[in-house]
Amino acid sequence: MSLLEVDGLTRFYGGLRAVGDLSFTVGEGEILGLIGPNGAGKTTVFNLITGFVQPSAGTIRLDGKSVVGLRPHAVAARGIARTFQVVKPFPGLTVKENVTLAAFLRHPSRRDAEAAALEVLGRLGLGHRAGDLASQLTLMDQKRLEVARALATGPRLLLLDEPMGGLNPSEVDVASRLVDQIRKGGVTVVLVEHVMKAIMRISDRVVVVSQGEKIAEGPPAQVVKEPAVLAAYFGKRAAP
Amino acid sequence: MTRRLAPWVAGVVALAALPAIVPNSFYLHVAIMILMWTLLGSAWNLLGGFAGQVSFGHAALFGIGAYVTMILFLKAGLAPWWGIPLGGLAAALVSLPIGLVCFRLRGPYFSLATLAVAEIVKLVALNWETVTNGSVGFLITTFPPVRFFGLAVDWESKLPFYALAALLALGGLAATAWLQTSRLGAYLIAIRENEEAAEAVGIDTVRAKVLTFALSAFLAGLGGGFYAAYFRYVDPDAVLNINLSMEMVFIAMVGGLGTVAGPLVGAVFLTTVGESVRERFQVGHLIFYGLFMMLAIRYMPEGIWGRARRLLAALRARVLGHVAA
Repeated sequence: MSLLEVDGLTRFYGGLRAVGDLSFTVGEGEILGLIGPNGAGKTTVFNLITGFVQPSAGTIRLDGKSVVGLRPHAVAARGIARTFQVVKPFPGLTVKENVTLAAFLRHPSRRDAEAAALEVLGRLGLGHRAGDLASQLTLMDQKRLEVARALATGPRLLLLDEPMGGLNPSEVDVASRLVDQIRKGGVTVVLVEHVMKAIMRISDRVVVVSQGEKIAEGPPAQVVKEPAVLAAYFGKRAAP
Repeated sequence: MTRRLAPWVAGVVALAALPAIVPNSFYLHVAIMILMWTLLGSAWNLLGGFAGQVSFGHAALFGIGAYVTMILFLKAGLAPWWGIPLGGLAAALVSLPIGLVCFRLRGPYFSLATLAVAEIVKLVALNWETVTNGSVGFLITTFPPVRFFGLAVDWESKLPFYALAALLALGGLAATAWLQTSRLGAYLIAIRENEEAAEAVGIDTVRAKVLTFALSAFLAGLGGGFYAAYFRYVDPDAVLNINLSMEMVFIAMVGGLGTVAGPLVGAVFLTTVGESVRERFQVGHLIFYGLFMMLAIRYMPEGIWGRARRLLAALRARVLGHVAA
């Protein structure tokens, strides 16, 4: 059975359909890339799965159990963590405090939560910045902090929203290895990403979304050759 | 542990010694006002300073505490030492529906909603005459005789009220100190820093805010109950006035948002500044009060206590640095 099953997911904003009848599944231990042109509705899909936005129709199941209608904190408690495209650290707190707050979800005692936070920070290579204010980090490190905080909630499924946006090529390599390492740690990953090189390299499978609908699905190398995908990205004349 | 307890012990000793030192009952009155405002500033600070939810409606909770204490005493014969905590509980209960409605709004919209709620409560008090006596209000003429450790309590003296106010103020400060070390306190700071991120990492932000609002309301209600017993007079203009809400905001801000001692420092400064300019300038004393507020906020945005704490930390680091070198 799949870890995440999304079926017929639909969301309207007034008359505008942001996501329409979208269905896909994510298997345990998989890395799924969610790609598509700007405005395709990828971030909305993340907001729907994590309870920040409620679907107009459709079902979302984690391990067979529906998470529709839950508030974001309850979705996190079920085991789905996310990062934000525009990083949202707790700027006035230290890196360690940022992650400890997330670790409280699985570790009620402060001492355990702090230990768990330091462990995650060490794993992500942020251990040496634990005492610094989150607002003092570089963008790359803030993105790492975002991932560390999500991981500290002890998720089974991690949704990464453009973790590589704004990073330089060598940083993208580091981030790609990080995503792979997260999967090896037993966490299933769905990532929205525009950096095609990274998507091609790390995802097992990609789902292509355009105007809120799924237009293609499959292994990355195969999907990028499909005419519908080329049309969505480059316009109809570019497609053979 | 001893370092953390030391300021509390010093505070209790100072509070116990104060009545013997002050020259006359006016100063004792000022001390009582400082203690009452410490409690009220602490109440507001829990929600405004830690969770970043700026309420302009705490007068409603203060007023509910005052009315409940007063009505229980005059109509049910319940003495104020029962009435004051019940007033606090009533305010906490009323805060639940207010919180559930107002916390749907964020930032300035939340603040305006609390302002509106406070006005609604005031209008209810003005018009629900069978319960509240409308604009006439209530007046206590005599207190029941009480013996405390065999001694008759003299209600005409300010001493019993001073003791009560000291106890309440310590309670407010202790509640803040507890919150600061608790998980709830950490959640509130997360909410203040970024509410969406707080939800995303599994913090039930609505629950945290509603709980804190109830605690804050309880303390504000205690303050109101104390006010009713001390001044023996309650009417909508006195206990449901928007000035009360503003004063709580100012005390927490001038003292230092999100700190334990901030409301105490703010209450000391604002009460003494208020009382001393009132003495000298019969007309227009509020101008000086306002000026002081503006200067404090302009030059010490982190509050007097916030600034002092930072200076102390810098000094300590420098001294220790010298010792190490």
